[in-house]
Amino acid sequence: MTSASEVVVRQRAEVVPRAATITRQRRRRLRRIAWNVVGLAVFVVLVFPVFWMISTAFKPDTEINAFSPTWFSSHPTLQHFRDAIARPYFWDVVKNSLIIVGAVVALSMVVAFLAAVALAKYRFTGNKLFVVLVIGILMLPQAGLVIPLYVVLAKYHLTNHLLGLVFTHLVILLPFAVWTLRGFILGIPKELEEAAMVDGSSRLGAFTRILLPLVAPGLVATSVFVFITSWNEYIFANVILTDQQNQTLTVWLSYFYGTSRETDWGGLMAASTLTAIPVVIFFLLVQRKIAFGLTAGAVKA
Amino acid sequence: MTVAAEATAHRSRRRPRLKRIAQASIPYLLILPVILVITAILGYPLYKLATLSFQQYGLAELIQRKGVWIGLDNYSSVLHDEIFWRTLLRTVIFTAANVVLTIGIGTLLAFLLVRVSSLVRVLLTAGLVLVWSMPAVVAVQVWFWMTNFQNGILNHVLTQLHVGDYSQHDWYATTFWKLAMVTLLIVWGAIPFVTITVYAGLAQVPRELVEAAEIDGAGPLRVFRDVTYPILKPIFLILTSLSIIWDFGVFTQPYLLIGSSHVDTSNYLMGVYVFIEGYAHSDFGRGAAISLLMLLMVATMSIFYVRRMVKMGEAAR
Amino acid sequence: MNIRIFAAAALVAALSVVAVGVSGASGGSAANTLTVWLQVDAQSGWPEVVAAANAQFKAQNPGWNVDVQYQTWGTHLSKFDATLAGGNSPDVIEMGNTEMTKYMAAGAFQDLAGVSFPNQSTWLAGLAASGRYGGKLYGVPYYAGSRVVTYRTDLFKQVNAKIPTSQNEFIALARKIGTKNSAKSFSPVYIAGTDWYVAMSFVADYGGKIAMTRKGKWVGTLDKPAALAGLAAYKRFFDASSRAQKTTDEAHPQPYDVIAQGNAASTYGAGWFTCCVGDYKSKVAQFVMPSHTKGQPIPGFLGGSDLAVPIGANKTAAAAWISAFTDNASMSVLRAKGNIPNTTSLLGNSVNERAARKSWFVPTSKNWINVENGNVLRTMLSRILTGKSSIKDAASVASDNITFTLNQ
Repeated sequence: MTSASEVVVRQRAEVVPRAATITRQRRRRLRRIAWNVVGLAVFVVLVFPVFWMISTAFKPDTEINAFSPTWFSSHPTLQHFRDAIARPYFWDVVKNSLIIVGAVVALSMVVAFLAAVALAKYRFTGNKLFVVLVIGILMLPQAGLVIPLYVVLAKYHLTNHLLGLVFTHLVILLPFAVWTLRGFILGIPKELEEAAMVDGSSRLGAFTRILLPLVAPGLVATSVFVFITSWNEYIFANVILTDQQNQTLTVWLSYFYGTSRETDWGGLMAASTLTAIPVVIFFLLVQRKIAFGLTAGAVKA
Repeated sequence: MTVAAEATAHRSRRRPRLKRIAQASIPYLLILPVILVITAILGYPLYKLATLSFQQYGLAELIQRKGVWIGLDNYSSVLHDEIFWRTLLRTVIFTAANVVLTIGIGTLLAFLLVRVSSLVRVLLTAGLVLVWSMPAVVAVQVWFWMTNFQNGILNHVLTQLHVGDYSQHDWYATTFWKLAMVTLLIVWGAIPFVTITVYAGLAQVPRELVEAAEIDGAGPLRVFRDVTYPILKPIFLILTSLSIIWDFGVFTQPYLLIGSSHVDTSNYLMGVYVFIEGYAHSDFGRGAAISLLMLLMVATMSIFYVRRMVKMGEAAR
Repeated sequence: MNIRIFAAAALVAALSVVAVGVSGASGGSAANTLTVWLQVDAQSGWPEVVAAANAQFKAQNPGWNVDVQYQTWGTHLSKFDATLAGGNSPDVIEMGNTEMTKYMAAGAFQDLAGVSFPNQSTWLAGLAASGRYGGKLYGVPYYAGSRVVTYRTDLFKQVNAKIPTSQNEFIALARKIGTKNSAKSFSPVYIAGTDWYVAMSFVADYGGKIAMTRKGKWVGTLDKPAALAGLAAYKRFFDASSRAQKTTDEAHPQPYDVIAQGNAASTYGAGWFTCCVGDYKSKVAQFVMPSHTKGQPIPGFLGGSDLAVPIGANKTAAAAWISAFTDNASMSVLRAKGNIPNTTSLLGNSVNERAARKSWFVPTSKNWINVENGNVLRTMLSRILTGKSSIKDAASVASDNITFTLNQ
């Protein structure tokens, strides 16, 4: 039934939805702006203590101890940063921290991912027992383990050695990584997995080829946690590494407030600011992997 | 069956046992590295922790490397200590408050991250990582500074905003406020992990499934219930179980923020209690007993979530 | 992403372990290395003394190396415990004088009898006492710091003050300063409420003691008349001159910060406070805190360090290094840096040193540290100053607590 009225109706049907789309778009943009404002407000409140730390790092000593606090320094100075870097063994300590954390992240991610795949995807005797063991280790209070662990490392001649700390951090962080990655893998919808099984490749091959991209955001989140925990870990690093040139940044930081005299607050804040920089760099490098749309195309493959 | 398929089936029939053994051993090989590392380093400490708890083991015994076997005396002395039970109750309430706040606020922030534009998102995530990256000792110092009654910025801001006269207000005057400040500090430090993990979980939600559900006419709440939540469920279970474990045994923040000269039996938390009663007094046997009791408590508190997680693995296969 | 890339990642991981194993500093030590644990104060304060001692030791003992590992006060004891358990403790360790007793009683150190150390006959009594236990010598006095009154010369001049020579004179002076500077948060003499080092100085001034041994058992003696008189004198002094919080300790806030902020005319604390009074650095000076008896100094708490030789160490080598480190040359340098040397033969007439001539020490019981950790004295002072308990009641409770804890 083609008639002029029908053509008009069809044309009107094309025009009306466009107007509705425009208002919907405007509403979406307004909503986005509102959320952005909320986001910025949250940012300011959340980051304030970090801002305070950085702002203090630039203040001269007289301002730091002043009776009324000031937001920004009126005479900002780089002296604290210079003093911090000039402290004995600063660059050795940076190198040590980077080596340890690099090894711990690389090793723990590979080893934990393999174990997590086994626990999440394979049925075998001892699966449940192993999972319970992993979470059990996580529940142990660390304070009690320090001295016995030191005794073990002393037997292996690994005290005062970076490798000793790497193994210690692995032991602390592997259970966490396995537990978390297993959870991420379990969360992947079955449809995406089953798509991979069709082409007849081995189970393990399918898992690594399909699972890895799907679980990438989880891997990144876990690796950031491992990075930060290892970077900031103090108790074991302090006990195991006794020579100052073998120590990590966190232990080096403790020398700022460990004297019997006054604490160098400006120096401590400057040093802490420096300590945070590699973490932020690492995160900025990997953060792009936590993004939507990574899983798009997996089903089609 | 095609010729090729028949040939494949025939080949797998010819070496079935070898292939089956190889297939079956794969999971064990995968978990082997973890088992090796943990046994080699943690095996002896775990054994020592257990045996120490049944011994009288102080500094002198540590030096002589020989303890005195006293059976369950350590446990009985701890369990008969009124301070232990009061501390336990206080810690349970403290843990509950911390976990609820951490997971709640963290999840809300993760949803906020979804809704903001990408520039604000990068800013927020960078901010979260900055917060996350502050070592606990530094965070405590900064926090104490901000809240101290003499020249803390918190009092300054509150007074300026005319919320009230907060000049020289001591935020650590009562036990409740001491622990409240510690809670604030811990929740603040724990939010980034929750937010980023939940956000990563949300990123794993495939867009196709969401769009498919929306095309079928589902509103945002149903999309959440049917598509998002099942994927996020294991993540929430993990985050809750981890938060319970960590908040129950926390030591650095309460000990340093309340200050070693103000920490006493009226504001002990389990992490501080085990440190002072066990290790500061060099009573390692008692410390080991308390540690194992703490393990038991934490296991009890988190059993609900842990069992769900363990069962989830079986259902998925 | 296929299995090959995965294998490559695993290989990289394995290689990184090897790299870490190869790099990283030396895990093993040379055949003859003397490991010395000193606190970081030496590294920043008198590194030349350490270097000189090392050189002297190496010259006298060829084939030996010295590895000085600097520690921090908060954690060095737990690290020491770990090394004792692991069997690789240092050869020489610096211990705080209040930390010694517990470790001496547990058998952590070697008996140094028979070794002759420089100036052994004139060691400072207060320090030397902390190194002796059960009739044996375990610790060699290293150095000490005393407490003095740091004051603002401009505020004192404002009231035409003379340096007080008795507590009553000081109280009168404080009142005069208080009238001239009547701000609510201003203290003529800033003393933190629970600063038990100051309070116990007052107790010692009246002949009181924290605890004494009677027939081999410890008895808390804060409830005896002498101690009570001292506590009453402390309360009188505090009420007249300090606006500090009655429940706060001597580190929160730091007294030098209070002066720097303009909220105190003086304070009674460590001698090095002059470093950190901000804008008033040129306007501060020091004098010895007076006793209630005119012309006498109050007995001060001597905070200091000893050097000990843990079991398992090479005693001869360790003792030789200690001798090199505590000889007259080293002590002179330490004294020049504002510390109190370990021998009366080198004591001069600086304010710091005059204040050190009379001192008191905590009970030498291995459980004393538990009394400190339990904040027994702080609680007592807090209750006395806030009026929650009478002096007699609070002291009685504390005394019983101390008796119980010390005899555990």
